[in-house]
Amino acid sequence: MKSIGSFLKYALLIVYLIAVVAPMAWVFLTSAKSTQEFYKNPIGLPTLVTAPDTATFNAFAENYEKAWVGSNFSRYFVNSVIVVSISLILILLLGSMTAYALARFEFRGKNFLYALFLAGLLIPMQLILIPLFFQFSDMGEAMTEFFAPLARALGLGKLTISLHDSHFGLILIYVAASLPFTVFTLTAFFRTLPNELREASLMDGASEYRTFFQVMLPVGKAGLVTVAIFNFLGLWNEYLFGLVFLSDDRLKTLPLGLASISMQAQYKSDFGLLFAGLVIAMLPTLITYIFLQEQLTKGITAGAVKG
Amino acid sequence: MTKRNERNLFLWMFLGPSVALYSLFVLLPTINAFRYSLTRWDGLSPAVWVGLQNFARILDPKSLFYTALGHNIFLTLAPGIFILGMALLFAYLIHQRIKGARLFRITFFFPNVISSVAIAILWVLIYSTSAAGLINNVLKSVFHFKDAVPFTESSHLLWALVPMIVWSATGFYMVLFLAAMENIPDSFYEAARLDGASNGKIFWSITLPLMWDVLTTGIVFLIVGGLKFFDAIWVMENGRPSTSTHTLSSLMYAKVFEEYNIGFGTAIAVLLFLLVLIVTLVSRRLLQRERLEY
Repeated sequence: MKSIGSFLKYALLIVYLIAVVAPMAWVFLTSAKSTQEFYKNPIGLPTLVTAPDTATFNAFAENYEKAWVGSNFSRYFVNSVIVVSISLILILLLGSMTAYALARFEFRGKNFLYALFLAGLLIPMQLILIPLFFQFSDMGEAMTEFFAPLARALGLGKLTISLHDSHFGLILIYVAASLPFTVFTLTAFFRTLPNELREASLMDGASEYRTFFQVMLPVGKAGLVTVAIFNFLGLWNEYLFGLVFLSDDRLKTLPLGLASISMQAQYKSDFGLLFAGLVIAMLPTLITYIFLQEQLTKGITAGAVKG
Repeated sequence: MTKRNERNLFLWMFLGPSVALYSLFVLLPTINAFRYSLTRWDGLSPAVWVGLQNFARILDPKSLFYTALGHNIFLTLAPGIFILGMALLFAYLIHQRIKGARLFRITFFFPNVISSVAIAILWVLIYSTSAAGLINNVLKSVFHFKDAVPFTESSHLLWALVPMIVWSATGFYMVLFLAAMENIPDSFYEAARLDGASNGKIFWSITLPLMWDVLTTGIVFLIVGGLKFFDAIWVMENGRPSTSTHTLSSLMYAKVFEEYNIGFGTAIAVLLFLLVLIVTLVSRRLLQRERLEY
């Protein structure tokens, strides 16, 4: 009886394991097929695996070259790296400073401020999307007007500043929208750190600034890594804001680029390009996850325990 | 500078930038959303104050709002039942300290880190009627189907989305539930076993009640996620959802950016927000009442 139960247990888990991995493995394997090979053998293993030779390797390399160079995936990738890395640095810096002040200082309006950030956890991005769209137009116009005398003085002629179709604009939204989760998580985290550390550092004559950046932040690294992973995954995969605020193809991030390339590739039946593009879009977060899964799981666990 | 001024300056430096950004790009647009929802506006000519007219039109029984909301509810319930059941089952199995627990836990989570756009395109290819379609190729070569099955036709796309959502979300809920199960002290199980309780009895009367708050949190995540559902519909319908696929978010997007009906579109967003708020607050209340302390 016991052995049947244990067999069933493993059978269930292994069946689901295959269901999770199979579609991903299929994409990876198909990305190695040339178009002819794809039509001859759409679901089997690619010849790159079964009978590798130079020709099949070239077909595999050609798919990725087509995606990376021919279809601008390299540009989308770089755009994603720029937007997400700058956003992450700002989120971690501003979020940790705010959380530290909220966790370790007493001042008037502190509870109100904390509640204000907490309220942001309830606001769906859909709610602020449309007002932001028009707010960006107004702010762009105001900034253009404000800088016009300076631009004239510098001989730049008419300088138009726009927050639409600009990485800067998207970064502003990403940072602001990520603050509630970041501040909430880090405030809880900073509260758990021993206050003696801070007191000792201040006693040694270090300023509050120095105490924060050279003592508290390094001690709080574990909390920062956890928020960094969650924010990275959320922003790297973000679609809705990108869709509304970036229409210039040269500025698109990976999810947007992938969506438009996929339409063209399906229309042209260019499956080599499409599958290679999917792999390029999937790999960065998968690799990040494999390296940092321990911290990510700990983050979910901490959330689950607090409820 | 006095000690007190120094401290105030420090607080301003540390709180100022994030409060400014947050107020300007989250709080201000939130207030504006409520304002917009009470106007008729095409984005160019001056907005006209219309009071609650937009809401009256949205809540009219013939409005597309109910159709879209119905789709959101379908996309919450149909996959949700499978996600909760499977996540609980897998968490329970892995919790029994089996061999390979780590491998299962790590692998099941894979789909959760892939972007929703990539997942949507991956499933478009799985379902495709073109040469790429994984399922249709299997049906053709193994089961000798003559014609390809059009799984992602607009009229029944929502059904095709169910396996996709289950596939993409189960891992997260499993990790969440597993964490809750691991948090229950072993002594509880030992005591139950000494009393001769069966495994099933232990699961229903110890494991499940003691992880009730995490289960509720999971259900709230599922409902809120279902209410906000957008990306996959948008990608699979090439930015043109039909009346049989619109969700609240895509309807809002179409009203604003295609029909330039900004007041109406924003009113949909306001209702979406209120729904999210109600679900979250109700679950908080339920939790306060039923939380078991141990």
